[in-house]
Amino acid sequence: MFSYIVRKMLYAVPVIWGVVTIVFILMTIVPGDPARLMMGQRGDPETLARIRADLGLDLPIHKQYTRFLKDLVKGDLGVSYRNNEKVVDALMTRFGATLKLAFWAMVLAALLGILAGVVSAVKQYSIFDYSAMFIAISGISAPVFWVGLLLLLIFAYTLHLVPGVGYVPGDWRYFILPVITLGVRPAALIARLTRSCMLEVLTQDYIRTARSKGLRERIVIMRHALKNALIPVVTIIGTQVAELLSGAVLTETIFAWPGVGRLAVEALIARDFPMIRGTVIFMAVIFLVANLIVDISYGFIDPRIRYD
Amino acid sequence: MKRRLVWFVMVVILLSLVFVGQNAAVAQEPKYGGVLRWRAVNDPPKLDPAMATDTSSSRNVYLMFDMLVDNDPDGKSIVPRLAESWEASPDGKTWTFHLRKGVKFHKESLGKPTENGGREVTAHDWKYSFERLVKVNSPRAYFIDMVKGYQDFVDGKADEWVGIKVVDDYTLQFELDYPFSPFLSVLAYNSFVVVPKEDAEKWGKEFNFHPVGTGAFILERWDHDQRLVYRKNPDYWKKDEAGRQLPYLDGIEIVIIPDNTIAYEEFKKGNIDVLPAPPDEYYEEIKAQYSHLLQERPELGTYYYGFNNSKPPFKDNLKLRQAFNYAVDREAINELVIHGRYYPAKGILPPGIPGYNPNLRGYEYNPEKAKQLLAEAGFPDGITVDLNVNNDPRHTLISEAIQAQLKNLGININIKVLDWGVHLDLCERGETQMFRMGWVADYADPDNFLYVLLHSENHGSKGNYSFYSNPKVDEMLAAARVETDWDKRMKLYQEAEQMIVDDAPWLFLFHYTTSLLAQDWLKNMHLPAFGDYTTPLEVVWIEK
Repeated sequence: MFSYIVRKMLYAVPVIWGVVTIVFILMTIVPGDPARLMMGQRGDPETLARIRADLGLDLPIHKQYTRFLKDLVKGDLGVSYRNNEKVVDALMTRFGATLKLAFWAMVLAALLGILAGVVSAVKQYSIFDYSAMFIAISGISAPVFWVGLLLLLIFAYTLHLVPGVGYVPGDWRYFILPVITLGVRPAALIARLTRSCMLEVLTQDYIRTARSKGLRERIVIMRHALKNALIPVVTIIGTQVAELLSGAVLTETIFAWPGVGRLAVEALIARDFPMIRGTVIFMAVIFLVANLIVDISYGFIDPRIRYD
Repeated sequence: MKRRLVWFVMVVILLSLVFVGQNAAVAQEPKYGGVLRWRAVNDPPKLDPAMATDTSSSRNVYLMFDMLVDNDPDGKSIVPRLAESWEASPDGKTWTFHLRKGVKFHKESLGKPTENGGREVTAHDWKYSFERLVKVNSPRAYFIDMVKGYQDFVDGKADEWVGIKVVDDYTLQFELDYPFSPFLSVLAYNSFVVVPKEDAEKWGKEFNFHPVGTGAFILERWDHDQRLVYRKNPDYWKKDEAGRQLPYLDGIEIVIIPDNTIAYEEFKKGNIDVLPAPPDEYYEEIKAQYSHLLQERPELGTYYYGFNNSKPPFKDNLKLRQAFNYAVDREAINELVIHGRYYPAKGILPPGIPGYNPNLRGYEYNPEKAKQLLAEAGFPDGITVDLNVNNDPRHTLISEAIQAQLKNLGININIKVLDWGVHLDLCERGETQMFRMGWVADYADPDNFLYVLLHSENHGSKGNYSFYSNPKVDEMLAAARVETDWDKRMKLYQEAEQMIVDDAPWLFLFHYTTSLLAQDWLKNMHLPAFGDYTTPLEVVWIEK
């Protein structure tokens, strides 16, 4: 297992290098000069040249690239062009908010999704099944910004059941709507996937065997069917977690949530190259780690899977 | 009996008047305390005034720092701030400022004692602050490049900026290379503030996150992408007319809410006190339901479509440029597309700025004349032109309306919606045919519009994106810069503006307005012509 993890992590190095190189090249191709944007709408060429030199943008591209790689190896992602904030610090302060949001959204999504999927499969073609799947399809189809706005308009601004927007650590009331908004889509995906996997598993011979042994239906469903149906569900949960952790831009924007997604978008608008590179590397690492955890979790769900 | 009745009525009236008067006095009595919550769209990129070039940064800079001089709320004159008085030499090349005594730097910042310890500001601090602008590569230092010794100091050939002299602790002097009439107005720009050397040197580039000034409010907390919390500066130098200490408020919170719909709902719920620039999509509703909370006035800004005067088809084709100007119904677009939030423009200078000419000869909506000019310009069958617009819903809507109007005359407009960075880049390099642009005054002087945007010295990034060039106009604008007689200057600007308008280097469109929604419990809040972000908050109080 340990060697498997080490091997996976070593594989990640060229992936991250590839990602940062592509981002670096894209940033040099895209028109729009970060130094120019710092100057506002007008600026004299002499000051512009001094700012470019200060940022290292006057160096040839290959020198900028090697300098960037050297710093990266040292763990230094640079300093934001936009506000001089250290990229690592910016990511760390925003990641806390994103992590909390993503974690609770995934807990909600996993609980609701798996529960709805299992019940729908067990009670196939029942009212519950139809209703759950209708809600699931709506959840997948509904745009996040629409769901967020709707929830806010109803529960915050009409019924006044929760406060408005903002991020107040420790005050759970501010978490309710963003967590639901962000959790709706993964919950719907998980529900549909769980249902189809469960339906497939429930027709297997070993389920019939379990039932014929006289096991209680709850045991058959939870221990025999669900566990085997979970592998694709866990994969989906893993990728969804990675997606949410790398920044739920729309939810963060609507709920004024200070997360990684908003940081990335603002960096893009300002051509803040170090911050863009930092957020991309961060997202790549998140995806790699999430995938690694998913891979490892397979072994716990299905003991037949080995890590040789 | 009748006489007694008359007396009785008179006494009642008198008492009522006294009572009403007392009430009015009570209503006018400022109240101390409370925190004002101001909506911002995004995290301010810069709290270091030397580097602040955008309005969200400037909003914060105005809370914490002070310039030597300030604009009056109407943008028509310059008023004292940390300089109590000043005088210019007869040749206009030497400016002497007499500084206010007893002004102190912030004793604390972000909950910790500052390096300066709350000491008094002297002329040495001003010299340091101006020199620092050059040292930190401030994008705005060049605004005062006419101060003697600028270039040598920039190039590192001199240890100090020789044109800035400390006469004594409370007297600062600037020596200019040439008389520059807008000098005083330029000094009201928010980068030209005083900062304490001890703190600026301690933090270096990190001063952006540890700003220390002399302003009415002290930064207490900065939760990135969430809020900036300010508390009142107890040692602030300013007092109201009755001698009461300012500010009245205990603090300010700049609350960051990126989404317009949510910000508006938060305002309605009372979660925020001030909503600057209320969104277009709710403007009609605001006018109908919240007009008593809406403040709106002309802003010192102009909105235009520039023609690229250095490339075909607009180069050397006056009739074509004029045809476009006659072909657009500005009134209709303003009313139908943007709810009448702008003012149709005849020229460049916005109402409210010195030198504004209400009798300027502009271009009325005249499609027949436009058609005739188009034919005379060599395009009897119409023309196709690319229009670059930066990505913003309002700009897109306006461009589509203009596209529809011009189509009636056979002018086809290809709208290219671009990201701001790309848009600016293309405009500066002259790689456009026609482009949207706007300009809001850095300082309240016609020089900031006419010289910056239309003098041929400023082609490209310095502001003249339309690459317009007229030697006669250049000459007049250069002469106006050094003219010390106010009336003569204004005359030069008005004549130059008329010549430019006749040359039609732009499609003249609108002048901006500035607006904000303020809860009715906020008192003494007045929106200045420079824009919502300059609203002075040290004089505002909460009456709940």
